[in-house]
Amino acid sequence: MADQLLDQVRDAVEGQIDFEGQKLAELITTVLLGGVGILAFIVGFMTQDIKLSLYIGLAGTALTFLAVVPPWPFYNKNPEGWLPPHKGASTVQINVDGQKVG
Amino acid sequence: MHSALVRIQNVFGFFTTVAFSVAAVIALSTFIHPQNPSSSIALNNVQVVNGRPHYYSYKKEEYAHIKFDLDADLSSLFNWNTKQVFLYLKAVYPSTKRGEPQSEAVIWDAILPGAAAPWNQNHYIHPTPKTQSKLKSSKKSKDKAASPYPRGIIKISNQRPKYQITDITGKLQNRTDVRLELGWNVQPWVGALLWTNSHDFGTWKALEGGQSEPFDFPVKGKKTDLRTAKGKEGHRLMAGEEQPVRKSG
Repeated sequence: MADQLLDQVRDAVEGQIDFEGQKLAELITTVLLGGVGILAFIVGFMTQDIKLSLYIGLAGTALTFLAVVPPWPFYNKNPEGWLPPHKGASTVQINVDGQKVG
Repeated sequence: MHSALVRIQNVFGFFTTVAFSVAAVIALSTFIHPQNPSSSIALNNVQVVNGRPHYYSYKKEEYAHIKFDLDADLSSLFNWNTKQVFLYLKAVYPSTKRGEPQSEAVIWDAILPGAAAPWNQNHYIHPTPKTQSKLKSSKKSKDKAASPYPRGIIKISNQRPKYQITDITGKLQNRTDVRLELGWNVQPWVGALLWTNSHDFGTWKALEGGQSEPFDFPVKGKKTDLRTAKGKEGHRLMAGEEQPVRKSG
């Protein structure tokens, strides 16, 4: 019971996502933060208000954290399955220094 | 990007890069704001009197008390990245010995806040001109801290100095070729501190008329109480009091 609970907590904290999700998260980070930086400068410059730049930048960063850090379902759409277990004689050939080991 | 911790580190790491880049671009953007500061400075009255550096001092020194007129347009120094401008007026006079550098001493200064700067008790409040004071008296009670002129415009005449100055030798009377010189320090939100434009630089024009006509310090006069003006930083935290108190006078 306690083990199950701890597993759940660990999964939630670790928030693991699959390979495709990692690629997507990386892309979203770059695009969102970069875009926010550009937007913050342009809006601030147009309105001649540096505080507006600051707040747009900080709000955009908070948004990026929210979008990227939690393991949202769309980051886990392509889970990588385990190889099927094989019993007895292996069908996989493993060679180490020319000698069959597997 | 496998676990949440790695993603936090990754997002924060890229955030610092973006923040630094935006700050750098903001700092550079000030260079495309044209600057054309101008000023005219004139001596109003100068007196030299005996004094001592502090009450318990036995040393007698000569102090110059310079009243001046200043008419300056520094509004172009204020752009979106200007936090405040520290404006100062200094008296510059050559040394009596050849080969020694000239002396410079600040006689008056002011902190001019930018548009986004929060209120501070040390900010300069432009005195209301006498001709306008009657007209504005009704308005004044509502908006006490407002300057009668737009940001960066200074029009003061017969202004008392904030500091009376002495020389390292203690002698100031009959010194010649004294000039009053305007200087400033632009303090931006991000970027480098910038001092007085002495030369044209791109869209930034050099300060026009930053010096007064040369004058001489007169012969030492009778000892009178020459009052200096207190700046807004006359606020001091008095012992036993919670609020900063503005010293009278």
